Amino acid sequence: MKIKQITCREVADYICKTLAEDIDSPQCVEIKEHLEHCDNCSKYFKSVQDTIVFYKKYNVEVDDECHTRLMKYLNLEDEK
Amino acid sequence: MTKETSNNIDENELIERSKQGDRKALAELVKLHEQTVYNFAFKICRNREKAEHVMQETFLSMVKSISQFSGKSKLSTWLYTVVSNHCLMLARTEKRRESTEFEEETSYSGAISSSDWKYTPSDVAENNELKETLDKVIERLPEDYKIVFMLRDVEGLSTKETAEIMNLSIPAVKSRLHRARAFLRNELNNELKDEN
Repeated sequence: MKIKQITCREVADYICKTLAEDIDSPQCVEIKEHLEHCDNCSKYFKSVQDTIVFYKKYNVEVDDECHTRLMKYLNLEDEK
Repeated sequence: MTKETSNNIDENELIERSKQGDRKALAELVKLHEQTVYNFAFKICRNREKAEHVMQETFLSMVKSISQFSGKSKLSTWLYTVVSNHCLMLARTEKRRESTEFEEETSYSGAISSSDWKYTPSDVAENNELKETLDKVIERLPEDYKIVFMLRDVEGLSTKETAEIMNLSIPAVKSRLHRARAFLRNELNNELKDEN
């Protein structure tokens, strides 16, 4: 009996669903093997990871003025 | 969202003292979480003024209702819930696109075969232009998908916590996350392609 090979479409779908979180599952082993041999899927996997990393990096700081306005708004400005 | 204060005061102790009316403890709790609340609000609203407004309203809710805080969930989970609700309300008042439009637009069929994924975010210098692109792309995501993506992938919360915050089932969170990841990746690919 011929075993159905996993397709790139299935790999992409799996990447977006789990991002290989369940790394020990039988399906994940198959995904990892596919990624090792498929350049396009491998790039896709990395690009999804990169997308998340970029949104993680993009942070903003509460500056002093913003903090002061907040404490004033809450009527907590004197509580130091 | 947790971190220790400079005095290593335990958060639970601050909560208990706040419940007893200790305003210094309340101020400490605000300081402890303000950065994360502001950052999270900004990531959803993509606008400093709106993020500040959401942060102020979130902490006002905390100050008003800290006495009723049961401690069943973490304070941070509760704060994420309030921020998310405020952002959803803001989005509704601004009459942004409905989720149904997004569902129709983001059919994933064939995406992997129709693109070569040549342009990845890592190829692009981290500058203001990239930030603008990231802003532009995420702005197209409906608010509930954006919040799920931010909570789960960016803030690193579990699927269960995200489901609790969004009042969604676990399969619904997974489905939204799946679509949000695919959508953001596809849209970024298109934007970066246009810029090169």
